[in-house]
Amino acid sequence: MPGYERGNEGATIAAASSPTATPFGYTQLVGIRTERRGRVSTSDKIKFESPIDSLSTFQNALGFLPALVRAQALLPRLMEAQASLEGATRLRDGSLTRSQKERILLAIASDRRDLYAVAEHCAVLSVLSEPDTRIDALVVNSGDTALPEPDLVALRFCRKLARAPHAVCREDIVSLRAMGLSDGAILETAVTAALAIYRGTISKALHVEPEFPLRPAVRVLCCLPQNGGQIAQDAGRRSHSEKGPYLPSPFLSPESFAPFAKLYQTHGFIPNFFRSQALRPDLLEAEIETVRKILQPEDILTRVQKEAILLAVSAANLNSYCVAVHSNMLRGMGVAAEEGDQIAVDHHLSALSEADKALVDCAIKLGARHAEFSPRDVDELRKWNFTEEQILESIAVVALNNFSNFLQMGLGFEPDFEVPAAFQQAILKPFVPSGTPMAGDPAISTLVTAIADPDAELVAQAQAGDLDAFERLVRRNTQSVFRALVAILGDTDEVQDVMQEVFLSAFKHIARFEGRSKMSTWLASIARNAAFQRIRKQKDTESLDSADSDEDGDFRPRQVRAWQDDPEQSYSKAQVRKLVEKGILQLSPRYRTILMLRDIEQLSTDEVARRLGISVPTVKTRLFRGRLMLREWLSPYFSKGPGGAPYNDHV
Amino acid sequence: MITCEEFFAEFGDYLENQVSEDIRREMELHLSQCRTCTVLYDSSCKTVRLVTDSCSFELPQPVSDAVVDRIMERLRSDRHDTK
Repeated sequence: MPGYERGNEGATIAAASSPTATPFGYTQLVGIRTERRGRVSTSDKIKFESPIDSLSTFQNALGFLPALVRAQALLPRLMEAQASLEGATRLRDGSLTRSQKERILLAIASDRRDLYAVAEHCAVLSVLSEPDTRIDALVVNSGDTALPEPDLVALRFCRKLARAPHAVCREDIVSLRAMGLSDGAILETAVTAALAIYRGTISKALHVEPEFPLRPAVRVLCCLPQNGGQIAQDAGRRSHSEKGPYLPSPFLSPESFAPFAKLYQTHGFIPNFFRSQALRPDLLEAEIETVRKILQPEDILTRVQKEAILLAVSAANLNSYCVAVHSNMLRGMGVAAEEGDQIAVDHHLSALSEADKALVDCAIKLGARHAEFSPRDVDELRKWNFTEEQILESIAVVALNNFSNFLQMGLGFEPDFEVPAAFQQAILKPFVPSGTPMAGDPAISTLVTAIADPDAELVAQAQAGDLDAFERLVRRNTQSVFRALVAILGDTDEVQDVMQEVFLSAFKHIARFEGRSKMSTWLASIARNAAFQRIRKQKDTESLDSADSDEDGDFRPRQVRAWQDDPEQSYSKAQVRKLVEKGILQLSPRYRTILMLRDIEQLSTDEVARRLGISVPTVKTRLFRGRLMLREWLSPYFSKGPGGAPYNDHV
Repeated sequence: MITCEEFFAEFGDYLENQVSEDIRREMELHLSQCRTCTVLYDSSCKTVRLVTDSCSFELPQPVSDAVVDRIMERLRSDRHDTK
C-alpha cells in the first residue's frame, strides 16, 4: 500500500502488552469486576464458556479488559461476541496498522461524543506512540493531524460513513483506491468504522463511564455542537445510479472456503454481506462467531424478538439490504410476510405484543436516533418487566444490527432477497412512527403462516411429531432427493443408503426447518451436502470446485456425422431414456451435477451457481462442456447412416 | 465471416440464447456456410432436448417404496424404544 503510513507497531504493541510500560496503571483494571454500570446492572455470578481464550484477546493486545466489555458480564457470551469482532479487526495488524484503526475509532467516537470511547482510544493511541498533538487534532477534528494524505482520505471516508452513511457512494471507494489503498485495506477501513458504531451503541446504552483521564482537548470537544445522530436526515442524498457492491465479491465455493461452508450450513446460501468480505476469511469467521453468540441462543430473547428488532432498526436506518434479510428471516420463523412489512414500516401497527413494541421502540431510538437515547428509555423497558439480561441482549442485538447496517452502506452490496414493496414505498417518505397502538394484543407466535409450500401442512404435523405425516413427506420427495443424489454420486448402490441417511437426518432436524425455503428444496440441499460428504470421505480426487483440468479444457467435438432428423424414432421411449441417463452418468460429477440441475431440474444458470456456490461463468463453461461430452457419447446411437452403435451393444 | 474457432468460442452462450444480436447474426451466417458447425449445432440442440424431454432418473416405484419402508420402520422402532 504505497504511501499509506505504517507506524512502528512492533515496538508499541509490545509496550501495550507489557504491564510495566502501561500508563495510568490500567493493568489494575484487568479482570471482571462486578459493578453497576449506568442503568444496566451486572451480576457477580459469572460463568464463561471459555474464559481465557476469548477475552485474553483484549488482555494480550491492550493489557486490560475494557469497561465496555466488563459492563456486559451479565451475559458472558456477549463479551465473547465483542471479543471475536475486535480480535479480528482492532486488536491486530491487518491491512491497516493498529494505530490507523485506533485513529478511525477515535475520530468516530469524537464525532459521536462518546466520551468513554474517546478516553480509551486516546489512551491506547498514546501507548502506540501516537504524538499528543495528533491525538488532540483527531479529537477535535481540526485537520491538523500531519498524517499522510491516504490516511486522511481514509479517515474522512470513515467519518462520512458514520455520520451520513447514505451519502457514501462508489466515488468514495474510487478515491480510496486512488490513494493506493488495496481492496483489503478498504474493507478493513469500513469494518473498523462499523466496529466504532457497534462499540458506540453499547457504550451509549450502558452509559459506560470513561476509565481513563480525559485529555483537555476532550473538554473542548464537549463544547462543540454535535453533528449527525440521525441517519434518516441524509437518506435522500444517495445516488441510486451507482449500485454496489463497491468491492469485488468473488464467488467462492462452500466446498473449499471454510467460512462459507459454515454459512451454507446455517443459511443454505451465502449472504452478500459475507460474500463481500471474502477477501478476509479471518474476519468472516469472527463475524460469524459474533452473530452466532448474539443471535442464535434463545434463552433470553426469542429469535422472533431479535429479528423484529433487527428489522425495525434496519428500517429506521433506511437500510434496504438488511430490511430484506430480516423480513425474510422473520418469514422463515413463521411470521407472515405482511406482518414483517408492518414491522418494517411501522411496528406500532403490527401485531407485536405491547411489551415487544416497547422493546422495539427502545431499540430504534438506540440504533437510529442515538443522540436522543437516554437511560430513561431503558427504565421504560423495566416497566414492561423485561429482565436485565433481556435488556442487555437487546442492546447487543442493536449494536450488531448497526454494525451490519453501516458496513452494508460502506460496501454497497445488494440485497439477497427482494426488498418488501411496502418498505420501498415507505422509504420514499420520512419515517414517522404512528404511535397509535392497535387494539388487541396477540402474541407474535400466533401469527404462524408458512410460505407457499405444498408440503407446509405436512411439515407442521411432522414437526409436532406425527410420523405418518413425515412418511407422506418422504414419499412425496423421494424422487427429487434421488435425483439430487444421482447428480453428484452417480447411480450407484450407495445412493439408496445415502437416501436413508438424508431422510433420517431430516427427521432429526425437522424442528429446525424454518420454512425459509420449500421442504423439497431443503431436502435436496441436505441430500447434496450428504453426497458431497460421501465424496470427501472416499477422497474422490475430483470434487466440484477443483480446477478444470487441461484435458477437459481442450475437449473438442470429434463426432461430426449428422444426426437423424428424429433421434427418438429408432428406439422406444424407454430405450432413449436409458441411453440418455447412461450418457449422463458417465460424465464426471462436476459436469453431471450442473447439467442435471440446468437441463433436468430446469434451474437458471444463476440459480445453479447459487445452489452450488460456484461462479456463473464456471457454471456456463461446465454446462457447455457437459453438453458437448454427452453429445459425443450419444452420437454413435443417433447419427445417420451406417456406423451407429446398435442399442443392445451398449445398454 | 467468423471462423469455426470463433463460432466455437461463442457456441456455449449461443445454445443458452445469450449472445448479442450482432454475434447471433455472425453465427447464423457462419452456420449457413459451414457443414461441420451445422452438425455440431443440430446435434447439440437435440442432445439438450433429449435430456429435457426424456430423462427422469426415477427410482422404480418398488425400490422407492422399499427405501421409504426401511426409513419409517427405523423411525417407528426408535420411537418405540424411547417409549
